[in-house]
Amino acid sequence: MNTCPEQIVHYMHAYLDGEISRAEERELKEHLDNCTECKEIMNSLSESITLLGSVAQVKAPESFVGGVMARLPKEKSRAGAHR
Amino acid sequence: MDNLVNKRINEVLKGNQDAFEEIVTLFQHRLYQVCYRMLSNTQEAEDIAQEAFVRAYINIHTFDQKRKFSTWLFRIATNLCIDRIRKKKPDYYLDAEVPGTEGLNMYSQIAAPGELPEEEVERMELQERIQYEIGRLPDRYRTVIILRYIEELPLQEIGDILELPLGTVKTRVHRGREALRKQMGKM
Repeated sequence: MNTCPEQIVHYMHAYLDGEISRAEERELKEHLDNCTECKEIMNSLSESITLLGSVAQVKAPESFVGGVMARLPKEKSRAGAHR
Repeated sequence: MDNLVNKRINEVLKGNQDAFEEIVTLFQHRLYQVCYRMLSNTQEAEDIAQEAFVRAYINIHTFDQKRKFSTWLFRIATNLCIDRIRKKKPDYYLDAEVPGTEGLNMYSQIAAPGELPEEEVERMELQERIQYEIGRLPDRYRTVIILRYIEELPLQEIGDILELPLGTVKTRVHRGREALRKQMGKM
């Protein structure tokens, strides 16, 4: 179905990775202006990234650090380490 | 920050266990967040993130102080998360690549594990929905997507964490984005 040049999808991802050249970006923009199907794909790619960015930062529970320290193996006796 | 961390590591190496507490305090939220996003479960996230710190402590003498401590710590944690995910799935061999295909595995052929009915998905709150979509990603894509878009790490650093070449990281990010786009299509 899709008769768009194969590199367009690569350009979309290069654009999202911030690794697109000026010439490629121009070619991508030109294509998107003339192809609603690709434009939709580009938009929904960007949207899903934006949604990920809107995710709330979760924090470790209060007891976290204490929990780690309690799980550490017992300290080796210094006397044993230095003979 | 790396200087402070290395200072504390040297104290730990000299036998001062308390110096490790500061390291845990510094990185606890980032590590917990990554584990939670990987596992979609707060109890498991706490368990695995704590285990990651314990492993870091035990193996601290193997850490190369010329490198970034967070990279090393994230590597331990993501490996533990992936182990946990695979142990939970009795059919983990489905993750094996189908011969002669580029990155295609048996998951591509079947519905994602734990997929919910559409009406239920539509009723979800946004935050819950995003986590649900992350959780549906195959684990190799899930890891890179979390590190890239929730931890906001550069591609090269993700490669260092996962010990993958940059090209592979890029491919996985691309595939992960494609998968998310298709999953989230109707949002």
